[in-house]
Amino acid sequence: MASRILVVEDDERIRVSMSLALEDEGYDVVGAGSGEEALERFAQSLGFEPFDLVIIDIMLPGMDGFECCREVRRQSAVPIIMVTARTDTHDVVAGLEAGADDYVTKPFEPKELAARIRALLRRARSSEGGPSTLTFGDLEIMPEAGVVRLAGDEVHLTRTEFLLLCELAANHGKVLSREQLLERVWSYDYFGDGRLVDVHVRRLRMKVEPDPANPRYVLTVRGLGYKLAP
Amino acid sequence: MHLGLQARITAVFAFGALALSLLITSITYFTTSSSIVAQDEHSFELQAIANATSLGTSVYASDPSIVAANVLGLSGEFRSTTSYSLIYVTALDRWYSTFPLQFNKNDLPVSLRAMTLTGRAVEQTFTHDGTPEFGVGIAIPLGAYYFGIFSLDAANRTLHALLASLLAAAAVTTLLGAVLGRWAAGRTLRPLRDVSKAASSIASGILDTRLETADAQDLAVLTSSFNRMADRLQQRIERDARFTSDVSHELRSPLTTLANALSVIESRREELPERARRALDLLGTEVHRFQHMVRDLLEISRFDARSADFAPTPVEIGDLIRHAVNPAGHAPVTVIVKPEDEHVELVVDKRRIERIFGNLLENADHYAGGVAQVVVETRDRFVRVCVDDHGPGIPAADRDRIFERFARGTGTAGSRGAGGGTGLGLALVEEHVQLHGGRVSVTDAPTGGARFVVELPISPPDEPDDTAENGNSSGGGPGAGR
Repeated sequence: MASRILVVEDDERIRVSMSLALEDEGYDVVGAGSGEEALERFAQSLGFEPFDLVIIDIMLPGMDGFECCREVRRQSAVPIIMVTARTDTHDVVAGLEAGADDYVTKPFEPKELAARIRALLRRARSSEGGPSTLTFGDLEIMPEAGVVRLAGDEVHLTRTEFLLLCELAANHGKVLSREQLLERVWSYDYFGDGRLVDVHVRRLRMKVEPDPANPRYVLTVRGLGYKLAP
Repeated sequence: MHLGLQARITAVFAFGALALSLLITSITYFTTSSSIVAQDEHSFELQAIANATSLGTSVYASDPSIVAANVLGLSGEFRSTTSYSLIYVTALDRWYSTFPLQFNKNDLPVSLRAMTLTGRAVEQTFTHDGTPEFGVGIAIPLGAYYFGIFSLDAANRTLHALLASLLAAAAVTTLLGAVLGRWAAGRTLRPLRDVSKAASSIASGILDTRLETADAQDLAVLTSSFNRMADRLQQRIERDARFTSDVSHELRSPLTTLANALSVIESRREELPERARRALDLLGTEVHRFQHMVRDLLEISRFDARSADFAPTPVEIGDLIRHAVNPAGHAPVTVIVKPEDEHVELVVDKRRIERIFGNLLENADHYAGGVAQVVVETRDRFVRVCVDDHGPGIPAADRDRIFERFARGTGTAGSRGAGGGTGLGLALVEEHVQLHGGRVSVTDAPTGGARFVVELPISPPDEPDDTAENGNSSGGGPGAGR
């Protein structure tokens, strides 16, 4: 069955042309012209035909893209791509903090967006191999079951956060550079945006660290990258 | 040679001080010397009269031995001062001298002797053995003549010493004048210096530079009109920058639609008739170029608005350059890095580095038959990355101009191939490099083509103020991901 994508974009011409282009790629596309409409459609779909991915333009009239992003994220761990006006730290980091998994910058090439979508959906399907449970102190990771527990309680992670944690866990004790994490988790090449890693690590810590300000598990190695404490 | 304003003011002050002190020196010297000379001459006259009077009696005796003894007696009296006495007794037709070896009748100036022998009292200044002398001739009653010779040497020495100290004082005054002039020039020129500093700071792009309001009334006019000029310049420049940015922003939406719609048609290319296919290909190329141009315009307008943000990450130079000059889908480019330079760490904005070399690569592909080689070397605190191409090189006259926006080279190098660049590529290269605190220049490659040299500092530049906040929240810079 085709993956279902929700496109939230107020400019009708862009929305229609994006839908056409994405349908060509084999996706089932639903458009929404505002944040409110998007949330309505998202809520309706949850019961029987949930969306596999959401694309949100940051610049929306009424409820803005960040707000919409936060609301979708509150309800679901679905991958979110946001469309930003610029590559500035403000927009990019704010969008990622709001819960987006990745971003593209307008004007983007359709091929570029398709590649991002493919990368997020591919990962969402494959979480293969490895031992069934990895334990680090109070932190238990079950890669195959897609479950993480902290002191016995299940922690709800997005797909991206979960993959990031699994990648660090599979190489526990070793330092992974931002480039390596970008390649393995986001399928980016060397020039992927390191801010994706930083923001997701920050979000991951909020969920798995007893004290996110003084992390015990996900550690920063200055100038090199991140590692999971053995 | 043109002297600076400060040097000229200093020179005027020094010259004034010199002229004034020389005037004072000469007045002082001449009044003092005439009074000293007059005083000396007066005392010598009195002395001569006294000597002549005391000798007068001995001449009565007409006894040569008594006359001689008395003259010698005078010598004893005056041995301490340099003076000589001579006497001529008519009756005996004889001369007597106190020190005949040092001074005798032949040493007397002819005029002094002749005038005295006519019976008049005579005074004359003359030189004997190189020293100035003051001679007095007096006729003694009963046919004798007295000559007193007094040295003016002491007075002269005094005057010389006086002149020396006056000249020394004049020199010191001149020097003080110069110092005063320099100080005064510095004070009066300071506002000018402030203005020129502010002007060059504006010229270098710090548009919000303003002069402080001056206390002095006459300077307030200057500062306020300067500041008004700067205000209007800034408004003008910012309006232009905003316009570019606004236009580019507005172009993004239709472009996104165009690109998406185009991709839908492109995926059905095979279903189209031949003519439509050719038209579609043209459309595709131009939409693609248009998209790049808008992207570049947005980027450059952010530099103009000084809102370019800097997201530094520590990277290893070898890795960075190899990835930057070998983007996906591009023919491989040879990168030469010395093994010891391979792991030199740079703190850079990777996205900008990717654009720098992406644009240089594109430039070489479009205008110079591609990149020949890329050479990386470290020098001092800089990393030099040389991008050599296969083209004919760039004439020296065009080397600065080539980094200007929409610059076109002269001659064949400037002709544009199909799907050419945006005209902003090299201008952006320069902006990106400068944001890193580096330099870019173009020279001749050893292989014959052009060589673009990008120099990046090994220690990171200070982050611009307006992005300091971003630097903390973003990127892989030190302190990120606490």
